[in-house]
Amino acid sequence: MLSLLIWVPIIGAGVIAFAPGEVSGARARLGAIGVSGFLIGLSALLLFQFDLGNPEMQFQEYIPWIESLGLNYQLGVDGLSLLLLSLNSLLILISILSSKIDIERPRLFFSLILLIAGGVAGAFVAQNLLLFFLFYELELIPFYLLVSIWGGSRRSYAATKFLIYTAVSGACILLAFLGLVWFSEASTFAYDTLMGQMLPLGLQFVLLALMLVGFGIKIPLVPFHTWLPDTYVEASTPVAILLGGILAKLGTYGIFRFGLGLFPEAWSNLSPYLAIWAAISIMYGAMAAIAQKDIKRMVAYSSIGHMGYILLGGAALTSLSVIGSISQMVAHGLILAVLFNLVGVVEAKVGTRELDVLNGLMNPLRGLPATSSLLVMGAMASAGIPGLVGFIAEFMIFQGSYERFPIQTLLAVVGTGLTAVYFVILLNRTCFGKLDNSTSYYPEVTFGEQVPALILATLIIFLGLQPTWLVRWIEPTGTAMVAAVSTESAAQVATLSVPVVE
Amino acid sequence: MNSFLAETIWFVPIYPLVGMLLSTLWFPSITRRTGPRPAGYVNAITTFLALVHSLLAFPAVAGQAATFKFIPWLQVADLDLTFPVMISSLTVGALILITGMNLAAQIYAVGYMEMDWGWARFYALLAMFEAGMCALVLCDSLFFSYMILEVLTLGTYLLVGLWLNQPLVVTGARDAFLTKRVGDLFLLMGVLAIYPLAHTWNFTELATWAQTAQVDPNVMALVGLALLAGPMGKCAQFPLHLWLDEAMEGPFPSTILRNSVVVATGAWVLVKMEPVFALSSTVMATAIAIGAITALGGTLISMGQIDVKRAISYLVSAYMGLTFIAVGTGNNDAALLIVLTHALAMGALVMSSGSIVLNNITQDLTQLGGLWNKRPVTGLSFVAGALGLIALPPLGGFWSMLALADGVWQSRPVVLGLLLVINAFAAFAITRVFGLIFAGETNPMTLRSPENLWPVTVPMVFGGAFVLHLPLVMQSLSLLPDWATLNKDVALLLIWSSIFGLSLGAVVYIGTFITKPVTLPSKALQDLFAYDFYTPRLYRSSVVGSVDIVSRVTDWFDRYLVDGFVNLVGLASIFGGETLKYSTTGKTQFYVLTIAVGLVLIVLLMSWSFLADLSLVSGN
Repeated sequence: MLSLLIWVPIIGAGVIAFAPGEVSGARARLGAIGVSGFLIGLSALLLFQFDLGNPEMQFQEYIPWIESLGLNYQLGVDGLSLLLLSLNSLLILISILSSKIDIERPRLFFSLILLIAGGVAGAFVAQNLLLFFLFYELELIPFYLLVSIWGGSRRSYAATKFLIYTAVSGACILLAFLGLVWFSEASTFAYDTLMGQMLPLGLQFVLLALMLVGFGIKIPLVPFHTWLPDTYVEASTPVAILLGGILAKLGTYGIFRFGLGLFPEAWSNLSPYLAIWAAISIMYGAMAAIAQKDIKRMVAYSSIGHMGYILLGGAALTSLSVIGSISQMVAHGLILAVLFNLVGVVEAKVGTRELDVLNGLMNPLRGLPATSSLLVMGAMASAGIPGLVGFIAEFMIFQGSYERFPIQTLLAVVGTGLTAVYFVILLNRTCFGKLDNSTSYYPEVTFGEQVPALILATLIIFLGLQPTWLVRWIEPTGTAMVAAVSTESAAQVATLSVPVVE
Repeated sequence: MNSFLAETIWFVPIYPLVGMLLSTLWFPSITRRTGPRPAGYVNAITTFLALVHSLLAFPAVAGQAATFKFIPWLQVADLDLTFPVMISSLTVGALILITGMNLAAQIYAVGYMEMDWGWARFYALLAMFEAGMCALVLCDSLFFSYMILEVLTLGTYLLVGLWLNQPLVVTGARDAFLTKRVGDLFLLMGVLAIYPLAHTWNFTELATWAQTAQVDPNVMALVGLALLAGPMGKCAQFPLHLWLDEAMEGPFPSTILRNSVVVATGAWVLVKMEPVFALSSTVMATAIAIGAITALGGTLISMGQIDVKRAISYLVSAYMGLTFIAVGTGNNDAALLIVLTHALAMGALVMSSGSIVLNNITQDLTQLGGLWNKRPVTGLSFVAGALGLIALPPLGGFWSMLALADGVWQSRPVVLGLLLVINAFAAFAITRVFGLIFAGETNPMTLRSPENLWPVTVPMVFGGAFVLHLPLVMQSLSLLPDWATLNKDVALLLIWSSIFGLSLGAVVYIGTFITKPVTLPSKALQDLFAYDFYTPRLYRSSVVGSVDIVSRVTDWFDRYLVDGFVNLVGLASIFGGETLKYSTTGKTQFYVLTIAVGLVLIVLLMSWSFLADLSLVSGN
C-alpha cells in the first residue's frame, strides 16, 4: 500500500513524460490530476485504516535489496509521517490545480511534479536511513529543474543556490548517517536497529550537529536560510507551494525522526540551545518579513519564523509540545500553500507583487474580492488567530514548552505578534485601500483558479474548529516519542550508574 | 418551556453564527441580483430569535444557582479543553443585553447604511461579534475567553475597515487590530503561565484555587499583570486606549455595539479573574492606577475633542476605567452594574448622536449647533442617555456609581474623591457635547435637519426610553439598595458632583456668556487634550519606531551579511575556478612538475609518522 504511494506517481511521471507529442498540455494536466486524486484517495484510505491506538510503525513492507550495504527496501508509517504523507498527496493536487492551464512544456512540468510526489512519499515512509537518503536526494533534481525552467527572472541564480545549499545539506546528512552506522558497528541502515544505539555522548553531539545543519538547511533555520527567499520567490506558484508546503517539512520530519529519534540523549542535552535557536529563528524571520516590499518574499520569510515554532516544540520534549510541533507541520503546510496560491493569483491577475503598487483588491466590483477574503483568512491563520488551524498547533507548542523554556516561549509569543504586524501590512496594502480605477482592469478569477484555495481554506477552518481530527493521528506517536526519550535517558543513566552500585 | 430554553441556552450564540454564514452567501454576484439588503434582514431575524430565546429563558434561571454544561472540544496529551457553559441569571441577563443591543444596532443599520453596498460583510461581522460576545459570557473558561477575544480582535479589524477605500479607515483598522493584539498576546502569555500554577482555566475552579493558593508573589504579580493586559486592551485602557479612537473610523451602527458592549467584554473577563488578581496586591494596585489614569485622562481628553464620536468614545474608556477601579478594589458587583448602566446609556448616546451625524453630514462638533428645536426626539434621547450615564438619581448610572463609591468609601477615601472628580468631569464633558450639538446658534450644516427614517429613530427612542426605565428593571431584579442601607452621605456627594459638572457645563456651553469656541488659557494644555496626550506620536516614536528600525536592520543584516557571505563564498569559488583554469597550459613540462610536487607532498605525508620518530624532528 505504501509502495503504491511511491511508485504510482513515478510511473505516472514516466507515462506523462514519454507520452506522444500530440498529447495536449490539458491532457497531461488531467492525467496528473488523476494520479494525484488517486494518491489522495489512497491517503484517505490509509488515514482510516490506521490503528489509532498503536504508536508503532504500521503498514510495514520489507524487501531485501543490497544486504551487504545494509540497504533494504523497508517502509512503514506512524503518527509522525502519516499526516505529512497525506499533506503531500493533497498539496501535489493543489499544486497541479494552481498551475496555469497553458503552461509551457506541460508534459515535463507535470511529470516532474509527480516525480516529487513519489520521492517525498518515499522519504516519509522509508524506514531505512540510506533509503531515506536516496529519496531525499531524488527530490533535488525535479525541484532544481522546476525552479530553473519555470521560474522568474532570476531563476538560474536561485536554482543554483538552492542546488548547492541542498547538496551541502545532503552531504551533512549522509555523513551523519554513515558515522552513525560505522561507529555503532551496525550491519544495517535499518531505522529500528539504529534506534537502540548506545554511542558515547560526545559522538552523539557531533552526529546530531551534522544532522541539525543538514536538516536545518532544508527547513530552513537561521542562518542557513538565504536560499529560501530567493528560491521561493523565483519559483512559480505551484513549485513554491511544494517547496514551502512539503520540502520544508522533509527537514522538520528529518529532525524529529532522525535527530530526536536516534539521539534522544544528545537531543535532550542540547534542547536548551535548540530552544534559543528556535526563538532566534522566529524573531529573525518575523523581523525580516516586516521589512519586505514584495508580498511573495514576505510570505517566504514568514515561513522561516513558523519553522522556528516546530523546533521549539521539539526542543521542549513534552508530549504536548511534540504533538503541537507535528500539528504545526501540517498546519503550516496548509497555510503556506494557501498563501502562495493566493499570492500567485494576485500576481497573475494584477501583474505585480510590489506592496507599494498593490491596492484595494477587496473592492467588490473591480477588485478580486474572493481572493482578498481568502487572503485575509490565510494571513490570519498564519498569524495564529483562533478558530483557524495555525492557532491550536501553536498553542499546543507554547503550552507544552512554557514550563521548560518560559523565556523562549514568551519570545515565540512575541513572534506571533510580529507575524500579525507584517500580515496586517500585507493586507492593508493589498486588500484594503482605494483601487485605482484607471488601471484596474483585472482579468476575472475563474472558479477553477479558486478551487485550490477553497479546498485549503475549508481544511484550515475545519481543522481549526475541530482540531481533534488533526491531533488524533499524531497523539500516540507523539507521546511515545517523548516517552522513548525519557526512558532512553533513564537507561543510559542506569548503565552509567551500574558500576557505582557494584 | 422556559427551563428547556434555559438548558439549551448555549444555542444562543448559534443563531447569530447561522446568520453570519447566511450573510456571507451574499457574494457580489448575488448582491447584484437581489440588492444588498436581504443579507441584513436575515441577520436581524436570527438576532431577534436569539433575543427571544434569552428573554424566555431568563425566568427559569432568575434567582437560581448557576448550572454548568460541558462541551468537549479537544483532549490531547494531558491537556483537556472542554468548553464549560455557565447558565446563571447573570449570564442569561448578559445575553439579553448583548442580543438586545445587537438587534437595536442592526435595525439602526438598516436606516443608517441605507445607501451602502457592503451589507453582507457588515452584517456578517456584526453577527460575528454577537456570536462571540454571547459565547464569551456563557463560557466559564479563561482559555476559551482568550480565544473568543482574539477572534473579536480580528472582527474589529474587519469591521473598522469596512469602508476600506478611505486611507484613514485603513490605518485606523490597522492600529485597532495591532493595539488589541498586543493586549491579547499578553493575555495569551498569562493564559500559558497560569496553567502550570493552577492546572485549570475554568473561572470557577480558578477562584477556588485562588483561595488557598501559595504562589511566589513575584511570579503572581507578573502573571497577574499579563492577564490584566488583555482586558486593558479590550477596555481601551491607558496605554492601549488608542484603538477605540481609531475605531471611530468605522460605521456608526458598529460603534453602538462597540461603545456599549464590545468594550465591556474586557470588563467581563476582568471581573471573572478578580479572585486571581486578588492574589497579588501589586496587580490590584495596578488595576486601580490604570483605571484611575484612564478615567481621569479619558474625561479630560473627551472635553478637548471636536469629533462627536471621539468625544463620546473617550468617555467609554473613562467608564471602563471605573470598572478597573471597581475590580481593583474588589467591588465586582459594582463593576458589573457599571457595565450594565453604561452599556444602555452609551447605546442611547451613540444612537442619538449618529442620528444627528447622518443627516447633518458632519461629525465635527464645531459645525453643529442649535438643533434642539429641530430635533426634539433625538435631543430627548441624548439627554436620557447623558443623564443615565452620570450619577444622577434616579437613573441607572447613579446606582452603579453609588455601589462603587459605597464600596470604597471606608477603605479608600482617596478613590472616592477621585470618583467624584471623574463623575463631575464626565458630566461636564457630556453636557459640552449636548451644548455644542443642540444649543447655540444654527450653523450652515444644521440649517435643514429633520428627524430620520424610522429604522434610525425607533431604536434610538427605545434606547433612550430603556435608560429611563432601567431603575424599574433594576428594582425588579433587586439590584437597588434598600433605603435603610443606603449610604446617604456618599449619595449626596455624588449628586453634588454631578450637579456641579452639569451646571458648569451648561454655563459654559449652553449659556451665551462665554464666546465659542471655548479656549483654555494655555494653548499647550488644550492641545494636550485635543491630541490625546500625544499618545499616537508617543507610539510612533517608541514601539512602532523601534520595530521598524529593528526590522530594517534585520533585513539589511540578512541581505548584506548573511546572504552576502554566501554569495562571497560562491564568488570565491567561481574566481578560484576561473584562475585555476589557466593552469591548464597544455605544456608537458608543467604537468610533470605538478605531478612531481604532488608526489613529494604525498610521500612526505605518508611517511610523517616515520619522520616524526626521528630525533631530529621530534626533538628527543
